[in-house]
Amino acid sequence: MVDSLTPVLTKRWLSPRSWTIKTYEQLEGYTALRKALGAHPDQIIQQCKDSGLRGRGGAGFPTGMKWGFIPQGDGKPHYLVINADEGEPGTCKDIPLMMADPHSLIEGIIITSYAIRANFAAIYVRGEALHCIRRLDGAVKEAYAAGYLGKDILGSGFDLDVVVHAGAGAYICGEETALLDSLEGKRGQPRLKPPFPATAGLYASPTVVNNVETIASVPFIVNGGSDWFRTMGRERSPGPKIYSLSGHVTRPGQYEAPMGTTLRELLELAGGMKDGIPLKFWTPGGSSTPLFTADHLDVPLDFEGAAEAGSMLGTTALQIFNETVSVPWAVMKWTEFYKHESCGKCTPCREGTYWLVQILQRMVAGNGTASDIDTLLDVCDNILGRSFCALGDGAVSPITSGIKYFKDEFLALCDKNSAVLAGAH
Amino acid sequence: MGMFDPIKGFGVTFSTMFKKVVTEEYPEVKKVTAPRFHGRHQLNRHPDGLEKCVGCELCAWACPADAIFVEGGDNTDDARYSPGERFGADYQINYLRCIGCGLCIEACPTRSLTMTNEYELADDDRQKLIFTKEDLLAPLLPGMEQPPHPMRLGDNEQDYYVNGPALARDLLAGSSQGQSNAESAVKGAGK
Amino acid sequence: MTLAPEKSEVEVPEGHVKLVIDGFEVVAPKGELLIRTAERLGIVVPRFCDHPLLEPAGACRQCLVEVEMGGRPMPKPQASCTMTVADGMVVKTQLTSPVADKAQQGVMELLLINHPLDCPICDKGGECPLQNQALKHGRSDSRFHEHKRTFPKPLPISTQVLLDRERCVLCQRCTRFSAQIAGDPFIELLERGSQQQIGVAEGKPFQSYFSGNTIQICPVGALTSAAYRFRARPFDLISTPSVCEHCSSGCAERTDWRRGKVQRKLAGDDPEVNEEWICDKGRFAFRYATAGDRFTRPLVRDAESGELRETSWTEALQVAATGLAAARDAKGVGVLTGGRLTVEDAYAYAKFARVALKTNDVDFRARAHSAEELEFLTSTVLGTTPDNGGVTFTAIEAAPAVLCVAFEPEEEAPIVFLRLRKAARKKTKVFHLGQYTSPAVEKTFGTLLACVPGGEPAALNALEEHAADVTEALRGSGSVILVGERAAEVPGLFSAVARLAASTGAKVAWIPRRAGERGALEVGAVPNLLPGGRLVSDAAARSEVENAWGLVAGTLPTRAGRDTNGILVAAASGALDALVVAGVDPFDLPDPGLAQRALEFAGFVVSLELRPSAATAHADVVLPIAPAVEKSGSYLNWEGRRRDFGTTLEGTGALPDCRVLDTLAVEMDADLFTQTPAAAAADLDRLGSNVAEASAPTVSAPLLVQPTAGQAVLATWRRMLDNGSLQDEEPNLAGTARPVVAKVSAATAVHLGLDLGADITVSTERGSVTLPVEVADLPDGVVWLPGNSGPVTVRRNLVAGHGSLVAVAVSDGPSAEKSASDRGGNA
Repeated sequence: MVDSLTPVLTKRWLSPRSWTIKTYEQLEGYTALRKALGAHPDQIIQQCKDSGLRGRGGAGFPTGMKWGFIPQGDGKPHYLVINADEGEPGTCKDIPLMMADPHSLIEGIIITSYAIRANFAAIYVRGEALHCIRRLDGAVKEAYAAGYLGKDILGSGFDLDVVVHAGAGAYICGEETALLDSLEGKRGQPRLKPPFPATAGLYASPTVVNNVETIASVPFIVNGGSDWFRTMGRERSPGPKIYSLSGHVTRPGQYEAPMGTTLRELLELAGGMKDGIPLKFWTPGGSSTPLFTADHLDVPLDFEGAAEAGSMLGTTALQIFNETVSVPWAVMKWTEFYKHESCGKCTPCREGTYWLVQILQRMVAGNGTASDIDTLLDVCDNILGRSFCALGDGAVSPITSGIKYFKDEFLALCDKNSAVLAGAH
Repeated sequence: MGMFDPIKGFGVTFSTMFKKVVTEEYPEVKKVTAPRFHGRHQLNRHPDGLEKCVGCELCAWACPADAIFVEGGDNTDDARYSPGERFGADYQINYLRCIGCGLCIEACPTRSLTMTNEYELADDDRQKLIFTKEDLLAPLLPGMEQPPHPMRLGDNEQDYYVNGPALARDLLAGSSQGQSNAESAVKGAGK
Repeated sequence: MTLAPEKSEVEVPEGHVKLVIDGFEVVAPKGELLIRTAERLGIVVPRFCDHPLLEPAGACRQCLVEVEMGGRPMPKPQASCTMTVADGMVVKTQLTSPVADKAQQGVMELLLINHPLDCPICDKGGECPLQNQALKHGRSDSRFHEHKRTFPKPLPISTQVLLDRERCVLCQRCTRFSAQIAGDPFIELLERGSQQQIGVAEGKPFQSYFSGNTIQICPVGALTSAAYRFRARPFDLISTPSVCEHCSSGCAERTDWRRGKVQRKLAGDDPEVNEEWICDKGRFAFRYATAGDRFTRPLVRDAESGELRETSWTEALQVAATGLAAARDAKGVGVLTGGRLTVEDAYAYAKFARVALKTNDVDFRARAHSAEELEFLTSTVLGTTPDNGGVTFTAIEAAPAVLCVAFEPEEEAPIVFLRLRKAARKKTKVFHLGQYTSPAVEKTFGTLLACVPGGEPAALNALEEHAADVTEALRGSGSVILVGERAAEVPGLFSAVARLAASTGAKVAWIPRRAGERGALEVGAVPNLLPGGRLVSDAAARSEVENAWGLVAGTLPTRAGRDTNGILVAAASGALDALVVAGVDPFDLPDPGLAQRALEFAGFVVSLELRPSAATAHADVVLPIAPAVEKSGSYLNWEGRRRDFGTTLEGTGALPDCRVLDTLAVEMDADLFTQTPAAAAADLDRLGSNVAEASAPTVSAPLLVQPTAGQAVLATWRRMLDNGSLQDEEPNLAGTARPVVAKVSAATAVHLGLDLGADITVSTERGSVTLPVEVADLPDGVVWLPGNSGPVTVRRNLVAGHGSLVAVAVSDGPSAEKSASDRGGNA
């Protein structure tokens, strides 16, 4: 019986030596590729559009539409770049995917490159994930040996080279234009848009930048068809999704479920809250998405559902915190991360995170005042929507949402301080 | 014209004879001015003798009579006159032009330039009334050392400015005790 | 929803859009940035990273405004320095939008949290955009009670640029300037986040010829000049517009001075010429004029002691006049003016030679020169101006192709180089006929047409055959050939250039190295021309000049005079009795020995000089003259554009050459009417121009002498920063000069047995130099030397020039470089 929890993306993960091409081929591997190479590239783009697949990297941009933006017949080389710089705090879906099933990504790359007429694709992997880079390298070599990569793939006349590129460990390089700069060997800082990568991306040529999970979904769409894909998930956010659950749950890990699954359902899969301590707050998609509380257990976790509830789906990195955790402390830790990872290009993000961290550290140390909360909110307001890229916006999400839902906890820190002061005098 | 009229004229004289005299015995006895009297300028020093003047020329800019001339200079490791990068290499006030308005001391960002109550500013030589830095610098008090010399009260100018009031208080309180207090203040700031 | 307004009175031309900014309807060309459109309306949006000549960055976020597109407000405030105008856009700046105002104030506050309170000691204080902005838009108190980020400071990133990382707002203007405009990406952003900073690579200082511009465009005091450090405050400086006296570009400058002393020079804004940039020489080299050895009083040589002694103007002029008059009436006087005069001064020399000395023996060329060059200048260069179709900076920018012949733009005319690079970044193809891929070739994305020194004419003649793409490109309408002063050292090259120009239709421009050369040519400080481009040999032209000058008909000498070389030979051999010398350094001439003999043997030498030189060492009378900042006048830049400038330092008592000559002429019973530069200019204007028609030279190139074993052909040109006397007294500037090395090809190095790091000795029978050597893509059998850098002075040491045969060998002794540093330098 096929129920809504029958795995798609993760179906091979538990197979023995699932990362080898042998296992992959035994489990329908590279069948979608053969099918795709028999079709016209435009048909594949159309199929992807029909499937309603949306980018899994956080923004949820329709993938087929992105491919359609690539100007065809312009005489320029086209590139496909896979964003495997998974760095959002709490996110742990792309690296397991590439570890367990790298060939699904490679097959997706070949199909996508064929669709957008690219003869070169790069996988930009987070530099710290050395084990993952090694595995991808092995998989790419296997694919070359088997004739899935290189010249004249499977006699179709289509050529493709794939390069696995190790990043240097900067969060900002997960931003697609910074990633492209980094890939070109430059300093990883976001580029001015327009021009968008679809017209001037890698080496100023039309480029598609997609997330690992997005591209790994492509072979399934080609094999199963867009209608089948739409049977999963919700109307505007169809398909399966890997949810990474971390924190105070009994069995943290990756859980594949259709789009729109709620945390309550996911918690059931994960064995509930650890030690039965009640849930206090959680992030729906990494620390850059505004916090949710126990009141949001039934929010359907798809792009629309999360947005309607005042947050974002992000990378579906669900960091779950129980009642033992102090919100200001967690927010401080996140902000320290953003301060450390701000690329420094624009003023609001560079200086703002520097300031926010100092205020939060002071507050957590018990030296804050109530006016610090106003300053925090005002500084956040001066960063949100003023920074060059979305890093600044993400950096203020935990603070503003934390104060929104747990202002008392922030005030308590200040009260304690003023009480101490009052006692001293 | 009445008969007392000739004497009437002495009325003021007689009445004054029994009042306190208003005549100043200057210069035998010097007049004490009001504390905020705008007298001759002084270029102050930090407690270790380094100059407070940074040669910023704001006093010269503020001067409505164009009486001040300043030129900055670069402190080096070999020759340090003030904490920080810059010092007043040349400093002149022309007392032929100065109107004593005090705008310069308001402009001074380091409280280097202040006004004393000294008012004896007359001379028979115009050249001598252009006071140079040597004339204007405050005298070396006990514990002070004639610049150039390295910073004695901290590692950088922050220590001088942040702990300036404490250092100044200690200096007033007394030299030996003050020294140790100043040091502890510096150390406290370093934490 | 778009509502077409009924009452649209404003016509929107093709390629334009209409938008509303703060309620004002405005038409703007497509692609214009919002911040500029607003500025045209008089609405100044505050900014730091934006600069009109740099590509947008959007880094500082100070220029945020609210934008509405198609009736829908955009969710976030937009950076007006990166957003281009669009039809129907409604923009609200800080003046009308509380959101934009709040955003700008927020960014300002964030910029200030880590900014030190350095204003009183900061060189930018008083002219600092951040300071102004903070006072205008900032809060009066700070909410930031935490710890500011600190860095050690100042950090010298070259000998002339100091970096203060605490003050930096990371707008990237400096890095973008260096990468985009100058092509010298020595400085880059390092680290990230709040630790992000500008920096240089270890051991690789900011050795750019244009580094001073970064100081000027820095919106805070993060980059400051070592030479100007703590010299003055902006509010105590008087700014005078001026023109650069160094190269022939004629850059607009702003000279800031106080109490009779120039404190600094800044680039002026002239979009037609230098845009907003100048080179470091133009910016930093000005203290030669205040050197301690400058002449302030006239000197005459004491008959008894043989030494120069100070004297009165009256006596000096009288001695000079008597001596010159005697010489004039005997065998004659030669006039060497040097290439650094203003138009007015050069005119005074030209007129003085003709009227007071009755000779055509006058030449401005204090460098290698030839009769062919003069023919070329007369036929091709004379009289061209931007107004009559001459090549201009803008023409270079618009040209489809540019060919540089014997011209090293970055070294000889840096602003031409910047334009070339700007053009090349767009679409212009740049070709360089030279010897190796110099930095300028690389940075103009140029194609090198390499040839042996002396082989340039042959290379040009064979272009059609061997590099048809070049001639094809030059045939494109508006293409340009730029020829440099080095061409005078290659016989046949000017002829070949003229031929190539005629066959392709490309325009030709001559770009000399010195500021005064083009002007001197036009006003007749040459043996074959009278002022206004009239030929000496043309009787009608002569009588025109005689008329204007009020001379008796037939007074002007009818035969063309001697050129510099001819004058020197004549003086050395006794065929001339006296010399009038101004600003000529014998060591710039092909044969310094000849020049020195001439000065020595000439019966009477009058030198008009600023500071002691080889000429004043032999002079009988030395008349002190004013440096450029102490006089007014004009230069004619290579375009033929008149660059007028006024007196910067008034009342110093220094006299311009034209005034000195006028008085001297009076002593000799002649009237020049050049009492002041203005009078000289008026006299020149009255005379007008009447440019002679002449045919281009047709000199054929001689056969090249092949180097034998142990020999090489010398390629050489002068660098922008070298031993030039106008760069004296500038140690900070000298520190950014390029290293003194010889260059040979890899094959030649192997042939010579040169090891890596070995020194090379280059010698002629007259002398030798030893210096480190580098491998470059020179033709085999060629050695390149810098013309006049450090211990390597090609003219003085070797008495050689471009195309000479020299002996090369591996050095066995210490290099000149090393021995020079032992001596404490020679710059």
